[in-house]
Amino acid sequence: MAAHNLTSTVQPSDVYGGDEVQAFVLDPGYYFTRAGFAGEDAPKAVQPSFYARINGADQPKDIYGEQYLIPRENLEVRNYMTKDSIVEDWDTAPKFWESLIRNQLLPPRQVAPKQNGLNDIPREDQEGDVEMGDSNGADKTGDTAEDEELKLFEESPLLMTEAPWNTTKNREKSIEMAMEGWGCPAFWISRTPTLVSFAAGKPTALIIDVGAANASVVAVHDGHVLKRSIQKSPVGGLWLSQQVQALWEGNDPKVEPVPFFMVENKAPVDAGAPAQYTARKLGFDISETFRAYEDERLRTEFKESVVEVWRGPTRFMMPGTEEIARNQTPGRVFEFPDGSNHMWRETRYRVAEGMWDDTAQLPNTPDEWKISAEQTLSSLIRNCLSGVDVDLRPNLLGNVVVTGASTLINGFNDRLNIELTQMFPGLKIRIHSAGLSSERRFGAWVGGSILSSLGTFHQMWISRKEYEENGVNIVEKRCK
Amino acid sequence: MTSLDARDVLGIPADGSSRPAKKVKISAPRQSLKGLAREVQSLGGNNPIAIVPATSTFKKRRLGSRKPAARWKLEPFKNSAREGDSSLVLRHWKRVGELGVPPPEEQPENGDGEPQELEDSAFAKFSVQVQVPQYSEDQYNSNLQNSDWTKEETDYLLHLSCDFDLRWSIIWDRYDYKPHALDENGDGMALVLTRKERDIDDLKARYYEVAAKMMAAQTPVTYMPPQQQHLHNVMANYSAEKERARRKFAADTLSRSKEEAKEEESLLLELKRIDSRAEQLNEQRKDLYDRLDYPATGEGDLAALKTSSGLQQLLATLSSVDRTKKNRKSIQENGTSPNVQTPVPESAGGYGGHGRRDSTVSGHGHRDSIGGDSAAATPTTSRAPAKKGSVSAQAAVTAAAATAAQQERRRLTDMEEIVYGVSHHDRLTGGATFRYEKINKLFSHKSGQQQQRITNVLAELGIPPRLQMPTGAVVSRFEGLIGHVNTLLDSRKLSDKLDAELKTEMAKKQHRLDMEERARKAAEEEEKKRKKEVGEEGNESAAAGEGEGEGSKDDDQKAQTGEKNGGNESASKATSEHQAGDAAPAGSDPPVKQEVVSRPGSSGQKRSVSVLSTVDDEKAVKRQKK
Repeated sequence: MAAHNLTSTVQPSDVYGGDEVQAFVLDPGYYFTRAGFAGEDAPKAVQPSFYARINGADQPKDIYGEQYLIPRENLEVRNYMTKDSIVEDWDTAPKFWESLIRNQLLPPRQVAPKQNGLNDIPREDQEGDVEMGDSNGADKTGDTAEDEELKLFEESPLLMTEAPWNTTKNREKSIEMAMEGWGCPAFWISRTPTLVSFAAGKPTALIIDVGAANASVVAVHDGHVLKRSIQKSPVGGLWLSQQVQALWEGNDPKVEPVPFFMVENKAPVDAGAPAQYTARKLGFDISETFRAYEDERLRTEFKESVVEVWRGPTRFMMPGTEEIARNQTPGRVFEFPDGSNHMWRETRYRVAEGMWDDTAQLPNTPDEWKISAEQTLSSLIRNCLSGVDVDLRPNLLGNVVVTGASTLINGFNDRLNIELTQMFPGLKIRIHSAGLSSERRFGAWVGGSILSSLGTFHQMWISRKEYEENGVNIVEKRCK
Repeated sequence: MTSLDARDVLGIPADGSSRPAKKVKISAPRQSLKGLAREVQSLGGNNPIAIVPATSTFKKRRLGSRKPAARWKLEPFKNSAREGDSSLVLRHWKRVGELGVPPPEEQPENGDGEPQELEDSAFAKFSVQVQVPQYSEDQYNSNLQNSDWTKEETDYLLHLSCDFDLRWSIIWDRYDYKPHALDENGDGMALVLTRKERDIDDLKARYYEVAAKMMAAQTPVTYMPPQQQHLHNVMANYSAEKERARRKFAADTLSRSKEEAKEEESLLLELKRIDSRAEQLNEQRKDLYDRLDYPATGEGDLAALKTSSGLQQLLATLSSVDRTKKNRKSIQENGTSPNVQTPVPESAGGYGGHGRRDSTVSGHGHRDSIGGDSAAATPTTSRAPAKKGSVSAQAAVTAAAATAAQQERRRLTDMEEIVYGVSHHDRLTGGATFRYEKINKLFSHKSGQQQQRITNVLAELGIPPRLQMPTGAVVSRFEGLIGHVNTLLDSRKLSDKLDAELKTEMAKKQHRLDMEERARKAAEEEEKKRKKEVGEEGNESAAAGEGEGEGSKDDDQKAQTGEKNGGNESASKATSEHQAGDAAPAGSDPPVKQEVVSRPGSSGQKRSVSVLSTVDDEKAVKRQKK
């Protein structure tokens, strides 16, 4: 009978090793911020790290939530992270996270029918959705309700992630926010490569993380980031977007994309033909930041559907390779929001080639986005390994873990494998990359979820008492 | 309309009776399926009918056996493995009724308000810390001083080792020691105290140095348990240079080019192939030898059997094989395994003796086969060769069994042997003896003069002739020492003797040189005289000069063989003088001759030859001396 029970109701603690304590896991990144409960396999809340600021006549007002990033008068899109994937705006960040957790993680709050807005008489003069945004904002809720919610933080430990190059000051701010602002009982901050290695189940691994703003190569040994091995460069999603932009501009005829929100309606046209669409009349000015945000979304779509990494075995810039790409690989058609569409053949490989070979960058890349030879992924890997003890190198190359959403571009792993075998012949190279795209995108979050639900981890948390005794610098002492 | 028409054409009645009939048919077998199943199947013949009788009833739920849903409770717990504080209380879901969670019936009795003993995390026991050496200020100053390392830096290193559980790659990665004596003295000091760039081997070397020294400080090396001793040895002998060289080599290996890697791979493959082929060849060869019962031929072995004493020995070993066989049989019957430590008389042949016996047995088997080979030549081994062959086969079998038994026995390492006091002896004398008697024995069979000399040497070395604490080890060392002293005395004696001989020889040589000088002068005078006398007889004088030269060359030979006078006066004069000079070396010849005579098995003719040869040698020596 006991054996039957084991199937679902009894946790076999000796095998499983988990001990869930309902911790929050928060993984802020440049493009997306991820949050969820520890022990789950994917973050419940994934939201762009962008927020809207309404510059009204009086006080500017911040609204958090992807659904509020819409064309609107005086709306400015901002990001609380820097392009180094470090939290910059410490006034906004806690509010952003709070609203994320409250609105997406917790069950909807019971509100008296009088106040919940459903019974209000709709007003004609304003757009409904904007009204909703305002009413859901943090400023409208009463003090008592806020207190109630903060209590939830008081029961759950918080695990945060950080970039391996995060500054001491920033880490201290994190614990200060968690302890003072939210009243968490326990806190931990961990570097993303460590967590990725947890998610991949490898204590020693070479983590190749190509995210939105940065690409980084870091060696992890027994769950510790090796600081001398940390290598990063801007060859991430944003850089790829710039390459896409350069490709569009260099194309003949030049492609001038129109983002979705500006198109009222469109008519189908042949490939290469000029677009036939009617533009939407907004009646107010769109801020530059909003336009940039929308453009970035469009370029992301292009990246996802068209761009591919040249798989080799020869580099794309080798003479003759481009002809092979042109004649032997299928092209892809991409339709822009305005209805114009183009066939992309060999150039779609060119976009991502610069990640491996700096000479392959498109010639009309803006100067601030040009990368040097030291910033290509191949150089990053080589430099990373040269900062590691020789005895570890074979082990690391046998456990290469690929993570980050930008690695989802087709052919990335094949190319990486070829580059590595060319760089280190005679060594066994094994690349581990999650097949599930959600695991690849949220690698660090998943690792955090695993780590904070491990029974053996609960001795590591920095407790409130320890924080009160030692102050903020305890985070440097403990989270090594 | 269509169906009616069709029926009309086919002559089927229009009332549609065929359909209901079919329905009946379908339903009928479904109800009485059990009986009809075979009939229905058989209707199809080779093509079974594809009607699957479907049962529409679902599996019944076993409602009776279901237990009520498990109850779970959010329980607080603490973790005793937390170092800083144990105040952190986290909560997790626990099944009610499990360990640590009281069943619901008892809940009201305990009362919720009462402070209960918090459950400790089941994972606290997994928290393990590494042990790093600890030292006090005094210990550091007395033991651990190092010109390259300050105490602060050593502390820092040990702290890091503890933090990262001796994972050296991480320790080296995070090693960032900043000497902080700067704040007081200002900028001037900061320039002096520059940070040292240390590589991973420096850190390891320092740590092992500290660890080994602290280990030795706690317990002297000789008193450590073997494992600890081993650890101490490893740490004390850590060589940073060697490690550095190894690391460099590893780095070089990693930076090989593709061609090099390929070449090495192919070479390794080749090596493997060669190895396996050699192994195969050996196997085959062995197989062949086994089949041929190949007798080992050796000149020495045959020579040993040619003499009667050799044959006697062979006989003795043969009989001993028989005896050992019997012995082994009796041991097996008694059921005593060779593993059991037997008491003293048995152990003489049991533990240490086993190896010896095995070796004699195997050695014998070897020799035996030779005996079989040379049976015709030796009359004593006139027993039937067939029998001997069987004996050798048996011997081989027993030898194999013995070696197998030896392999079964657990091999003790050197360290363990010392610890358990196990020693190996070729032969044990019966009865107990005192160790000092053993020492006395060393002295007692020496002459008084020699004893005196030995004691003199010992006194010189500051060792009392009678040992104060004659433990086993000390006595064995003492014995060794006495042995060395003996050889020392012997060699000293020998060197004295040689010195004396050398002196006499030198004296002789001097004497002879003087004589020669004199003889030469005399000869010259003689010649002058003769020249004056003879004057014009040029031919003769030339011949005489020739003869003289010949004579001076071969004068020794002439002296030895008693050559007749060549008619030349001067030559005879010279020889007579030389004979006197050669008297002493000639005197030294007889012992050599005796030696040659005492050599057995050499014929008389041979002897004379050898005498001649020795004489020739002597001459050669003399010539060289000249």
